[in-house]
Amino acid sequence: MNTALTKAIALGAVAGIVAGLFGVGGGVIVVPGLVLWLALTQRQASGTSTATIVMSSAAAMLAFGISGSVDWRAAGLVLIGSVAGAWGGAWIAERINERALAVTFAIVLAIAGVRMVL
Amino acid sequence: MLEIASLIALGLFAGAMAAALGLGGGVIFVPSLVVLFGFEQHIAQGTSLAVIFPTAIVATIAHARMGSVRWHLSVPIGLAGIAGAVLGARVALGLDADLLRRMFGVFLILLAARMAWRAWRINDQSEPAPDPS
Repeated sequence: MNTALTKAIALGAVAGIVAGLFGVGGGVIVVPGLVLWLALTQRQASGTSTATIVMSSAAAMLAFGISGSVDWRAAGLVLIGSVAGAWGGAWIAERINERALAVTFAIVLAIAGVRMVL
Repeated sequence: MLEIASLIALGLFAGAMAAALGLGGGVIFVPSLVVLFGFEQHIAQGTSLAVIFPTAIVATIAHARMGSVRWHLSVPIGLAGIAGAVLGARVALGLDADLLRRMFGVFLILLAARMAWRAWRINDQSEPAPDPS
């Protein structure tokens, strides 16, 4: 079995568990994994990661949906904005200072994380 | 009406950040739905996934058109991801909402620390960066 494939499967399994456990896409695991383990550029990693999220999020969504843990109305509303935002974001990624974006994002996440732990 | 507008605005912001950073958006959706909209943790996570799935399809099309998707890696990662996601979801659905919310909070704090650290390293190694404040 070739090494890249073994790494990809291990990466996918870990990312999938995180995705299902926390209701996220798993990109937070897949993107750095692709960059550090599989030597992709940040941009290739972003694109490759979104394609994996299509698959893992479908599986996790079905599991939560079957148990009645999805507010489909709210999801539809957020989705209306999100689809427009996704097109804009791919465009932004080509042009923005990645560091500024990462710092801003980190601050917002830290604040939210503390609120949820307390 | 305000709630409808707020949910759409949340999607717009999260969708843009998500595509730009290569994430599915869940790290924004889940805490926003819990902290700002008062959702129960499991419902927030399930709803997040229901937004992530179609959003990821759109983001993937955008990235694929720019030639940024390495399909020979995406497919095995995604297939292993399906197995992992089913396992993770089963564990989450069996946990108490308060415990799951706190676990998610710790996950976010770790994520924030990693992102801040990475941003710091980019500063050390590359072009003159703008004022960090």
